[in-house]
Amino acid sequence: MNPFTAEHPVVARGLRKTFESTEAVRGIDFDVLHGECFGFLGPNGAGKTTTMRMIGCVSPLTSGSLKVFGLDTGKSMREIKQRLGVVPQEANLDEELPVEENLTVYARFFNVPSNVAAARAREQLDFMELTEKRMAKVSELSGGMRRRLLISRAMMNEPDLLILDEPTTGLDPQARHLVWDKLFELKRRGVTQIVSTHYMDEAHELCDRVAIMDQGRIIDEGAPQDLIQKHIGREVLEVRVSEPMRSQILAFSLSMVKGYDSYRDLIVLYADEAERILDKIKNSDIKTDYTLVRRSSLEDVFLKLTGRRLTE
Amino acid sequence: MNPFKPFSFSPRQAFRVWQREVSVYKYIYKSTIISNLMDPLIYLVALGFGLGAYVNRMQGLPYIQFIAPGLIASSVMNAASYETTINTFVRIHFDRVYEAMMATPVTVEDIVVGEMMWAMTRSTIYATVMLGVVTALGLTHSWYAIFVPFLGAMGGMMFAILGLTYTSFLKSIDQSNFFFTLLITPLFLFSGVFYPLDALPEIVKTIAFLSPLYHLVEIIRPLIIGQIGYGVILHLVWMIVFILLFVAIPVNLLRKKLVK
Repeated sequence: MNPFTAEHPVVARGLRKTFESTEAVRGIDFDVLHGECFGFLGPNGAGKTTTMRMIGCVSPLTSGSLKVFGLDTGKSMREIKQRLGVVPQEANLDEELPVEENLTVYARFFNVPSNVAAARAREQLDFMELTEKRMAKVSELSGGMRRRLLISRAMMNEPDLLILDEPTTGLDPQARHLVWDKLFELKRRGVTQIVSTHYMDEAHELCDRVAIMDQGRIIDEGAPQDLIQKHIGREVLEVRVSEPMRSQILAFSLSMVKGYDSYRDLIVLYADEAERILDKIKNSDIKTDYTLVRRSSLEDVFLKLTGRRLTE
Repeated sequence: MNPFKPFSFSPRQAFRVWQREVSVYKYIYKSTIISNLMDPLIYLVALGFGLGAYVNRMQGLPYIQFIAPGLIASSVMNAASYETTINTFVRIHFDRVYEAMMATPVTVEDIVVGEMMWAMTRSTIYATVMLGVVTALGLTHSWYAIFVPFLGAMGGMMFAILGLTYTSFLKSIDQSNFFFTLLITPLFLFSGVFYPLDALPEIVKTIAFLSPLYHLVEIIRPLIIGQIGYGVILHLVWMIVFILLFVAIPVNLLRKKLVK
């Protein structure tokens, strides 16, 4: 396929979704490119899952346009779903079937011939390190195994686009890293991925580009490193200090920072060279309770853009 | 959402939904067939032999002979009713099987039709096994009885329509009891399974005419005893009209419930 003529796998314009009285998605635009991993970042209720359900053709749009593989999601849902792999947030594995049949029965919905499905199921179980569990009941699997089985299941039709809704929520660190390894491997094989998450390290690790969502809107979009550079800079200085001292610190550091955020007794200063600000504070007579200079992260971008207060 | 938007139905995808149920049934048929057929068999033995010893003849038939075809029909009703209420509710809310299916090239229409086909299959299996039991007891007197499994399928369809319609309104699994206590049990008792409807007051008789089970009983009984009249055609037409009139209702209701 010629990348210059082919349409992007997902093109959304003015995408909107309203449930009775709540506006879950309030008119968003985005493109997902061939072979990339695209992330939706946002707090709970930001509209990530709703957006992904619309891409998956299970939730009709309220308005706007959404094309997947160049096809309209309202008109061509069977054709689109034939080429999608969907990993839902909560495991909806078939509890009434053993592990391996979860894969082969699912493959039948895509009309994969049974001998092909059997071979793919073995391959997937091997890839996800579940071969020993092939005859086990789903209820016997750990959380990490279930998630790996869900990803295996989504791969049974060899999808061109994999949609993963919070793929590692609730997993222990070992299981998370194993899932990440597998997703990397799939990306290397050229599978386009859309991931939603509220783990910033996950987004940074997996995603080529992310869209930060809040209250149904995309606030900013770009490569994680670019977003960090644009909003935060290289480093972050955290200072806990009593209220009256705060304005003093801000006064002499403002020329050196890209921005700042304060929350209760905490000031977070975004700068390329935070160490220099810290030196200045140390040389002054300001008494601080706690200081830390660290590398900036996507989490800083996220908190700067979506605010530090709980939204729920 | 527009409730009148055209159906998106694919027979092949509905067949895939049906196949999933077959795959699951492989693991559970042994235990479920026995427990599900216990019920009609207990009635057959307890009332057929027990009450039958005191009841002379009913419409010219020994009592056990009278009730055996009715119990085949009621096993059809029970099979499809359980399948489309409790089992379907679990697939929607607890196991979320339909949610998983809807991520594949399967639509709600395919799911509902596939489940109807499956309820028909289960009803047909029960009708056939019950027919075997009744025949083994020497109560089948006609080769017309070979049509009983076919009627099991039709009966299964009628009760699948009723069950799926009810399930589309269900909020919790406890509410499924009402379907059985307020609909299935009265149908069981007032549809001519245990006594001819002539015994009932006119008004009850009129209501009983609306019972799908009544029509099923009135077809299966002549097939078993071999006395076929034109009445059979009337009952068959009633069933066909019932299915054609109401089949789209659960499809629409479940689409509204599942597509959000």
